Amino acid sequence: MIETLQFVYAPQIINGLSIGVAVILMALGLTIIFGLLDVINMSHGEFYAAGAFLGLTLVAIGVPFWVCIVLVPAVLFPLGVITEKFLIQKVFNSKERHILTLLLTFGIAIVLEDLFKIIWGANPSKLDSPIQGAVDLLGVMFPKYRLFLMIFGALIITGVWVLIYRTPIGAIIRASAHDRNMAASLGIPVTWVHALTFGFGVALAGLAGILLAPIYSVFPTMGKDFILMAFSVVIVGGLGSIKGAVVAGLLLTQLQSISSLFISPVWSDPLVFGVMIIVLMFKPSGLYGGLKNG
Amino acid sequence: MDKTGRLAIRAVEIALLASAFILVIVGTITGDSFYLRLATEALIFGGLALSVDLLLGIVGLLSLGQALYFGFGAYLSALILKEVYPSFLLAMCLVGIFSAALGYIASFIALRSKGVYFALITFGLAQVVAKGVYNTRALGASDGLIGVPVIKLWTPFGELDTANPSVLFGLTFLVILCLYYCVKYFLTTPMGSIWRGIRSNEHRLSFIGIESTGPKRFAFVIAAIVAGLSGALYPILRGFVSPELLYFAVSGNAVITVVLGGVGTLIGAIFGSVLLTVLKSVIGTITAHHHIVIGLIFVFVVIAAPGGLVGWLKKKLDMRLGADRD
Amino acid sequence: MKRRVLILSALLSTLFSVSASAQTEPVKVGVVTPLSGVYAGIGQQVRWGLELATREINAAGGINGRRVELIFEDEEANPAVATQKAEKLFQVNRVDFLTGTVSSGSTLAVGQVAERNNRLMATTVSFADSITGDRCSPNVFRVNARAGMQSAALAAWMVKERPNADVFFLGPDYEMGRSTVAAFKAAATARGAKAVGEVFAPLDNKDYSPYFGQIRAAKPSVIYTSVAGNDTVRFFNQMAEYGVNKNVVLVGASGTVTSQNLAAIGKAAEGFVTGAGYSPKLDSPQNRKFVADFQAAYKTLPDLYGADSYGLMYFLKTAAEKAKSVETDKLRVAMRDHEWATPQGTKRMRAGDHQAMQEMYAVRIEKGDFNIIGRVSPADAIGPDACTRF
Repeated sequence: MIETLQFVYAPQIINGLSIGVAVILMALGLTIIFGLLDVINMSHGEFYAAGAFLGLTLVAIGVPFWVCIVLVPAVLFPLGVITEKFLIQKVFNSKERHILTLLLTFGIAIVLEDLFKIIWGANPSKLDSPIQGAVDLLGVMFPKYRLFLMIFGALIITGVWVLIYRTPIGAIIRASAHDRNMAASLGIPVTWVHALTFGFGVALAGLAGILLAPIYSVFPTMGKDFILMAFSVVIVGGLGSIKGAVVAGLLLTQLQSISSLFISPVWSDPLVFGVMIIVLMFKPSGLYGGLKNG
Repeated sequence: MDKTGRLAIRAVEIALLASAFILVIVGTITGDSFYLRLATEALIFGGLALSVDLLLGIVGLLSLGQALYFGFGAYLSALILKEVYPSFLLAMCLVGIFSAALGYIASFIALRSKGVYFALITFGLAQVVAKGVYNTRALGASDGLIGVPVIKLWTPFGELDTANPSVLFGLTFLVILCLYYCVKYFLTTPMGSIWRGIRSNEHRLSFIGIESTGPKRFAFVIAAIVAGLSGALYPILRGFVSPELLYFAVSGNAVITVVLGGVGTLIGAIFGSVLLTVLKSVIGTITAHHHIVIGLIFVFVVIAAPGGLVGWLKKKLDMRLGADRD
Repeated sequence: MKRRVLILSALLSTLFSVSASAQTEPVKVGVVTPLSGVYAGIGQQVRWGLELATREINAAGGINGRRVELIFEDEEANPAVATQKAEKLFQVNRVDFLTGTVSSGSTLAVGQVAERNNRLMATTVSFADSITGDRCSPNVFRVNARAGMQSAALAAWMVKERPNADVFFLGPDYEMGRSTVAAFKAAATARGAKAVGEVFAPLDNKDYSPYFGQIRAAKPSVIYTSVAGNDTVRFFNQMAEYGVNKNVVLVGASGTVTSQNLAAIGKAAEGFVTGAGYSPKLDSPQNRKFVADFQAAYKTLPDLYGADSYGLMYFLKTAAEKAKSVETDKLRVAMRDHEWATPQGTKRMRAGDHQAMQEMYAVRIEKGDFNIIGRVSPADAIGPDACTRF
């Protein structure tokens, strides 16, 4: 019994945690963008890929991995701001905003994916893990890098939560989400807040990209890897809720991880999807509601 | 829909009808096969786009998974023609009935939500079924089903062979024409007005005593039938079906064509499909990077011309006839 | 009188020039191959192999004195697109022959198009047994080795080097992945190996760590896998991360590690053994020349897709010269039981199922090289003729 717990369930749970951190990082940016801007960013996966590719190139020219972790989001941030200001804002004020922004970001995703293929080629590339080796965790080998990822990821997630809920900037962001016009009339440059928040969201995606590249490798279609899972997490957690993204992220990845012990792995995606539907049927706004609710 | 809007739609309808006639005549005389069949494929996917536009442009529901019904219709049609009896009428009738059933069942899951959630649920539904089909040996698994026989049609004038590209084009054209006018007809009924009301402001409808779920379900089922019947034509043209027909790429393309043609105009969906098929074929031969070109065109249209082609035409007509209107 | 002679000679010269231009009209070969999408890397090797061979053939006078022209179309790894492009090549470009398809779905669907257009086609990549087995077609030929042949080569090696091994199977959950695992399992267990576990991961799976518990519990001495492309990169690297590949021999299908993903897999591929129809390290004069020419032209080593595509053009050339024509029925007759020289030695196209017979190799990756460590003769590798359609 203890043996099963130690050698079968524990590794699955720990694995699920490391995958969970990855998914939450992706979902965070997505949920913030939707929570604030009311924009469904179908190109989020491509910004994740952009982060990975950028990291690949920087490391190849000799920039240390730890520097890249800072550099990559720093580069993607202005790119996101530009995308928001010059593309998304053009359709933002139309009556059909939801659909148009969804379609627009969908188009951007197509362009970006092909761009990656043109610049970096179609074949996969490897980004060497900065921390090699594995540790003995409860009798099972677990890679050190993944451990680092879990800890670092948790730190980032906490940092984002602190930023949004405990700082003046965060208050401005939440105010603009809650009531645009009121915030504007109080002197907040709402369009800039939108652009900067979008940049922040995709910078998070890019950070996830470079952090995960050593584990999942880099190739042009990698944007599609996490996107369905990220959207499921965002919906189940509640569009705009950070706490929701964390809880739902952990829940769904654990579900996937443990269920793979009992059912054929191909059914894990449908299972997650099924959970999403059930949650929507009984609590359509997700587990935790919106940005306002933490 | 005001006068210039209707005029723009009428103009595109006539343009498409005329092109179809010219194509058939020229094609039959020159013995062409490829372009007629390419046009047939464009029309088939135009039917799918029509179903997307019904939901998106009329009722206001963005479905990112209409390929589910399209692929379902294609597979069912292939199975009937191959295993049961190669009869066009049999396949179409059965596909129509079962697509309606599938749409009805799916509506209970999908219509639980609106807006973004609806889009994502329809997306997810299509993904799940696509995966299921991909893993089912009996349906050919990842290789799909080949060997769908070329069917012959019985008419009072004798037997027609769908191996003849002109015959097949004519048949497809008639089917899509019927579907188009059926959907258009619904728009003139009270149900059509309710649909437009839902798109406009669903919440308010309840204040005037109209319940919106029933009409939405009805539209959903109609869209499923339209997509399914269009899909049923696919194996008749290509002789095979594969799981790729249920993938997001197919649903996504349909949405692109609707936007290109003009959301809510119905004819725009069919025109957009023709346009995209031509674009892909031409650009694809010139460069391997056709995705980026189409992506850029799409982004441009969404930003600069959200009304699509019909919308652009309407604007031009407004300018031309503007002086006379007041 | 002079005028009549002039008119007559003008007429005659027009006649001659018309027939002369019919002679100098090129032999057109259509290539429907993935130039974008997941399989673009494979499509690239196919393209290079075909182009290199075509250049050589044209420099030596072409086929039956006619220049060879390749016409490329992108099939996007989607059978629906592949059939549309194949039709375009057959009907608009009027190609005499078609090749390039990669996935078995595309090959089967395009084969049907070829039948309906009364032309022949060949695949140089697809290795599903069904293509020259229960779903064979009189218009489809296969120049490359099929899954059964790859399994035979690998199983033969394993029996010698790791007899009675405990084998764990991991494959991608789709037709090709499952049938490849099934074929090798049958070949291996028939020779004394023991199957200690089996798992099928979804295609494009990101994380294989959920399966490592199972694998460790089964304590295999050999792990067989049929993943490919990006999946291989992730599976191998993650196994190395977790130490699952310690004291285990990794073996797999020939598409698992190729020149497209070898760089990304890196050290984790060291020691991997597969059964394949080609290795760039094959030590024959013809292969040495082929590899040198390929590298000079494209700055990269050829892999099995490039080599088999190169071999295809010579198959077409020599068969067309035997038939003195590229007309479909004559060409088909010439191609059956045809033997021709390739970088892998002499191949023979079996008439019963249109499957090429060739020597098969057990190949191990050592320091980034595909070294040959075992051979199986063509007759032993090929397996039975399961095609009953013709």
